[in-house]
Amino acid sequence: MSKPELRKHLASLSFAEKLKLLDKLRNRSLAIAASRAKLKLKLAGDGPSRPEQQR
Amino acid sequence: MSIKATLETVNRMQNDGVIDRYAIGGAVAATFYLEPMATLDVDIFVSLPHKAPGVLVSLSPIYEYLTSRGYRIEREYISVGDWPVQFLVPATPLELEAIAQARETDVEEVRTWVMTAEHLVAIALQTGRAKDHARIVQFLEQGAVNRDRLNEVLARFGLLRRWEQFERKYLAGSDE
Repeated sequence: MSKPELRKHLASLSFAEKLKLLDKLRNRSLAIAASRAKLKLKLAGDGPSRPEQQR
Repeated sequence: MSIKATLETVNRMQNDGVIDRYAIGGAVAATFYLEPMATLDVDIFVSLPHKAPGVLVSLSPIYEYLTSRGYRIEREYISVGDWPVQFLVPATPLELEAIAQARETDVEEVRTWVMTAEHLVAIALQTGRAKDHARIVQFLEQGAVNRDRLNEVLARFGLLRRWEQFERKYLAGSDE
């Protein structure tokens, strides 16, 4: 299915079906944001204070 | 908790007389007409009951109603289930009309109201951020607005000149 066809198909879904997709999109966005935050914390923890890096 | 559950809570507020009419706006409302677009919040435009002319509008009854039922306030949002909801009172005559003329629909037997595509486009034009302009283009590209009705709304609220500017900037050379 081409991109315009996919967009058309998605636009033709019922509002209820679209809202379920919004729920999924939001959950995915939050999961990505949380994993980024975890990665930042991990990187900060693994940062300059690590003895091997200070050497 | 899903958006459907959020709408059920808003409907309870309406039944309990905390809010009068309401209409979903923003990205969630745009999703009614277009393909689903990622958003992190729900914009609910509300008219409040018993508002005497000249009296300052306060969202306190909404906040009190929801916090007394355990919902949390986070900045300008109230978390209703998983979804942060921003309750907005109409700030312009256009938004007031958008609530009054909202389309009734249902989400798996939950009754709700969504702003018309023409009002969403007019409000996006009035708001005028980059993401609003991008959304207008989406509405036009997907043929989701009735151009005659849109022109009527734009004319009624003095937005025709701004629309011409928008067309020159974003639609010049396109089929729209």
